[in-house]
Amino acid sequence: MSRKIFVLFTLLALTAALLACTGAPPTSAPPTSAPATSAPQATTAPPATTASAARPIKVGIVDTYSGPPAAFGNDALNGFKLALSEINKDGVLGSNIEFVTRDDKYQPDTALSMAKELILEEKVDVLVGTVNSAAALAISSFAKEQKVPYIVWIAKSEAITGAKGHRYVFSTSENSAMAGKAGAEALAQKPYTKYWIAGEDYEYGHAIANAAWDNLKALKPDVTKAGETWWKTGEPDLTPYLTAIMAAKPDAIIFATGGAGMTNVLKTAKAMGLSDQIPIWIHTAIDTSVLKPLGANAPEGVMGTMDYLFYYPETPENKAFVKAYQDAYSAPPGFPAFHAYNTAHFIAEAFKKAGALDKEKFIDAMEGLKIDSPTGEIEMRACDHQVVEPLFMGVTKKNPQFEFMTASDLVSVAGKDVMPSCEEVLKKRSQ
Amino acid sequence: MLKALVEPRWLVATGIILLGLLLIPFGAPLFYIYILSVIFVTALLAMSLNLVLGYGGIYQFHHAVFYGVGAYTVALILTRTSLPWWIALLAGPFVAAATGLIIGWFCVRLTKLYFGMLQISLGSLVWIIVYRWYDVTGGDNGIHDIPMPEWLTTFQGAYYFILAVVVVCVGLMFLLIKSPFGATLQAIRDNPQRCEAIGINVRHHKLIAIVIAAFFGGVAGVLFATLERSVFPGLLFWVLSLEILVMCLLGGWFTFAGPILGAAIVVALRTVASRYTDYWTMVLGIILILLIFFLPEGVMGFIQERVAAKNKAPHPQRVEEGSGS
Amino acid sequence: MDPSAVISLLLVGLARAMILFIVSAGLTFVLGVLRVPNVAHGSLYMIGAFVAFTIATAFGQSSAGFWFALILAPLVVAAVALIIERGLLSHLYQREHLMLILFTFGLMLILNDLVKLIWGAEYRSVTPPEILDGAVTLFGFNIPRYSLFLLFVGPLVAVGLWFLSNKTRLGKIARAASVDREMVGVLGINVSWVFAAAFVIGCALAGLGGALVAPTTSISLGMDLTIIIESFLIVIIGGLGNTWGALIGSILFGVSQSLGLLFFPQFAIAFPYAVVVIVLLLRPRGLLRSAW
Repeated sequence: MSRKIFVLFTLLALTAALLACTGAPPTSAPPTSAPATSAPQATTAPPATTASAARPIKVGIVDTYSGPPAAFGNDALNGFKLALSEINKDGVLGSNIEFVTRDDKYQPDTALSMAKELILEEKVDVLVGTVNSAAALAISSFAKEQKVPYIVWIAKSEAITGAKGHRYVFSTSENSAMAGKAGAEALAQKPYTKYWIAGEDYEYGHAIANAAWDNLKALKPDVTKAGETWWKTGEPDLTPYLTAIMAAKPDAIIFATGGAGMTNVLKTAKAMGLSDQIPIWIHTAIDTSVLKPLGANAPEGVMGTMDYLFYYPETPENKAFVKAYQDAYSAPPGFPAFHAYNTAHFIAEAFKKAGALDKEKFIDAMEGLKIDSPTGEIEMRACDHQVVEPLFMGVTKKNPQFEFMTASDLVSVAGKDVMPSCEEVLKKRSQ
Repeated sequence: MLKALVEPRWLVATGIILLGLLLIPFGAPLFYIYILSVIFVTALLAMSLNLVLGYGGIYQFHHAVFYGVGAYTVALILTRTSLPWWIALLAGPFVAAATGLIIGWFCVRLTKLYFGMLQISLGSLVWIIVYRWYDVTGGDNGIHDIPMPEWLTTFQGAYYFILAVVVVCVGLMFLLIKSPFGATLQAIRDNPQRCEAIGINVRHHKLIAIVIAAFFGGVAGVLFATLERSVFPGLLFWVLSLEILVMCLLGGWFTFAGPILGAAIVVALRTVASRYTDYWTMVLGIILILLIFFLPEGVMGFIQERVAAKNKAPHPQRVEEGSGS
Repeated sequence: MDPSAVISLLLVGLARAMILFIVSAGLTFVLGVLRVPNVAHGSLYMIGAFVAFTIATAFGQSSAGFWFALILAPLVVAAVALIIERGLLSHLYQREHLMLILFTFGLMLILNDLVKLIWGAEYRSVTPPEILDGAVTLFGFNIPRYSLFLLFVGPLVAVGLWFLSNKTRLGKIARAASVDREMVGVLGINVSWVFAAAFVIGCALAGLGGALVAPTTSISLGMDLTIIIESFLIVIIGGLGNTWGALIGSILFGVSQSLGLLFFPQFAIAFPYAVVVIVLLLRPRGLLRSAW
């Protein structure tokens, strides 16, 4: 039948196109987005012949390589691979670190299912990953049950190491509590009293808004909240939302958005001239992955906080990291790459310190572990397994060096100054 | 009674399969026990859809809503109240059935595509409520760490529990299809006008079918919550509904066991294909389109057709369906 | 409440409604003529936005780049649609709706992964042309020029669609075919090319919507999921296959949202959905007469 042949032909053409594309990474996309799907098939490591024989350390990564935040997942994977290429030169415990990775499609249920596969079937020694805070929380409770260490590297909800924290979960990302407090401290020094809070209606948005507001209220009791606006993630046009906020004439606005939504807010704020009239603070507003796609379309003067910028601090360590990353992936590293790079080094150092491929010993070794990161020494706090690292605050500004805006007037805040105390965290956990 | 409904050789085959499934946890690695549990839950979900879709000819485009409502009912009761676990597990299907009654009540006034589109809309409203009502449902976060009795938290315990519930439900669905109600439903599917003419209340029957399907969909949701001890708004998302439709198509929707096969294929594909490629949804898409063109009766339908052709029976599916009346 | 705030919110709400209208008009057009609920419509919208990005970038994100993108992106999407229709969909018209919706679902799965393959995962952005950049002050409020542009384009598309379906041979046949397909075939008219044209036009509207939304938003994977569900709701409350219904539905959707924002900002997202429920309670078949 000619009809069937025609259909077959169309599908064959499609498949051929698909194969051609997978064979050679698409040229139009920068290499950062080339997904490392060729999950290493060295999954069946030969069973140890003797108990003491070294076997590779196996790290399982569950992360998002499709859907809106795929850029973060790919960036993190690259950072992790870069670190492994350094670590595996000398090896760890007489062998090296291997990894397997799965795409969670930004769905918590898929993430949980993939985590189960990696732990039960692939028998990974350490699980890492997830952009999605909801996925991180779901995996966290499974990791706890299975007694497998799980390191969260992008998701920023403070619940991960806070209220829902436990022995088996770690975070190598700055969390919403830290970012909120850092932002609140900056805002408390300003004369604004009437605030509006707006953001994307999801875990991260609420977490960051609450943290910033609670801290601001504590630091400066006379601030008032004029109102709140929440839109759903992926909302394409924010003009009505921002118009309504402008109609309320607040002194300043705290936006709680992330990822693609962040780019949307900045773009709309610029188009409406909102950023010229009302001061704005957004955590990660100065993030390169947000500002880069906007080019000159980003608004100037937006206050932001960040734990990693490839151009700051201008230390030899950071420059070396940026150069190595740029050589390998021809784009500067973003914060996910930085987190993942640190995570790999944390894993390697902890296993070295533990001296054995043992999950419990690994956790003991992780607690209080300090490593040298591209931005200086960072520490895994023993009491809540939250990384202690500096945050940088600045405002967006045009930069002749780049085609996109960068942060200016940068100041560094020590991590320990903006973290909730161990007592506060443990109190939250017991509630 | 059973003998009158099923051929003995099918009974024997079912018995052997069940025995095999009972023995699996003694040898299989944990992960396979888990994946099999997922397949059972998904299969029940797909079969409950097939009840209205394949046997009722009703365009149930948003069946996942009932799945999600069942799962969320369990999660909310167990995390927000101090009621015992079995009450939560029992409540799930009934709340799902009630949701089915409300959505169905609006939809049965319409037919075919209009029905399906309206159901997608109403179902999306339920999804929006779950996704938006942060204080109660946890929004996009979902609900985790749902407390369950100790024996249900092991993979083996959950496996046997799920297997038992699914077998009972499948049995009930089978009896339903072979019952006079099931026969009427199939008659309505094949010729609604004639049924109306001989005095059957078509809307009434359709509504009951939707409520029953929602009930079993809710059971599947409850089982999901027991297995994963987490629930997510994605359980009510329309994309999942279409995936269930794909499972029914894949297995064959004029067959009773087809959706089981379809669910198994989709779950297995997701597990295996995602090891090798990030593009497994594309793989699913291509398989789906190939299927629509070359195997529209589904895998099971195809097999039945071949078997029937061998036996020289005319109109294979119709014979199978009509056997109850 | 400040009346000028209400007016300016109405304006931006209407502007947002225009994008929704353009996308859902395409959806409802295909639904009306072909009876295909095109689940992949959102993917085509996303492709439109990504193609607009590629074209705008080829012109160095200049003003000219935007205008080229606005014209070419829908054409590229139309070409994709033509291939899909001639290669695959046209062989399926005799099948049930169920098969058709599943077919478009399969298409959606494939197209979304193809977008990931071709454009990668990073966020993209299109610069609005200079004359549409920034905001104008109306009634003491800043209204983005681009919103005013959308308020101009939306009615243009509506008029164009009206002209197409009422004043052209193609439109008349399409309308007739949507009422009684066999009849038109019996009259000796080749329905096949009418269907192809209808599908291509509907999809091109999705592409146009994507290109239009590109300067206001960040172009990213997954942007199809929100628009498709909203379009379905709009099509339902408007009446299946009724373009004017899509217009009314979009306006109800956009305006209820922006007024909700003014009075109950915390619950604003729920407003359009509440409108949908009320409409469906009163008129389950939609506000205007369905095309079939």
